[in-house]
Amino acid sequence: MADKSKIGMELPAYTFTVEKDKIIEFAIAISQKGRKEETNPIYYDEEAAKKAGYKGIIAPPTFATSSFFWTGGGLMGAIKILGIDLNRLLDREEEYEYFGNIYAGDVMTRKMKVIDMYTKGKGRRTIDVTILETELINQRGELLVKYRSTLMEI
Amino acid sequence: MDINYNDIEIGNEMPVYSSAPITRTDLVRYAGASGDFNPLHHDHTFVKLIGMKNVIAHGMLIMGIVGEAITSWIENKYLRKFGARFLSMTEPVDWDDEENTKDRATIIVSGKIVKKFEENGEKRFQCEIIAQDALGSKKLSGFFIATLP
Repeated sequence: MADKSKIGMELPAYTFTVEKDKIIEFAIAISQKGRKEETNPIYYDEEAAKKAGYKGIIAPPTFATSSFFWTGGGLMGAIKILGIDLNRLLDREEEYEYFGNIYAGDVMTRKMKVIDMYTKGKGRRTIDVTILETELINQRGELLVKYRSTLMEI
Repeated sequence: MDINYNDIEIGNEMPVYSSAPITRTDLVRYAGASGDFNPLHHDHTFVKLIGMKNVIAHGMLIMGIVGEAITSWIENKYLRKFGARFLSMTEPVDWDDEENTKDRATIIVSGKIVKKFEENGEKRFQCEIIAQDALGSKKLSGFFIATLP
């Protein structure tokens, strides 16, 4: 439910390590491949990644969103804090801005805050909207990706 | 796949990308990989409880597939922004009725370059994207902004 008092609220910051095997697991899932050898080698082969111009194995573009589920009690923990009803929850929008690549082995700090909460519609057909902004900062204090997630309760 | 900034023009289309039909196994695999264990995506008893017929794919799996489509054309290191709005739900293929359900579970990603511009001292371009199933139902509309050498 849209609770305007939560606008501006910062969720607890969490720190996690970007595991190499988690990256390839994710790359396999989004490419629907059966084996890692069928995916892009920059997601599992350090040498191939370096040859392609990276400092090491990198994470795919939508990998950053997983930090939402790995920290703070996962999905259930986050929606409890936000007062969102799981039975009505749907993703609506996701928008990333990239400042650098996320590398395997990076120790990332996730900062997340509530940008907006509001109710759309009238009467019985209302939709509650929650907009979150997340920043992922690496162990050197560099902001690598910032993204905005719009969640809807229908 | 060495594309240069001068090779691309407004109106150019990105290579069309087609997913494999999304299976329930794909949903479980994405749930494990991403950590998104919303039961809507794997638990049929939960889905029935909230009045739906079938489990549905994670919106972020569809966006992940779109990300694959983009990065098989433009390398990750050139990507600057990537946004998507989810338009409709995607049901997976039913193995006991594959013929009639595989098209609803197949995601086809297409896109067109709409803008070339300079930003932050870089030459950048914007590409608008649509993902739809093989029946033509729109799943996601989005965009990405990238640079190129």
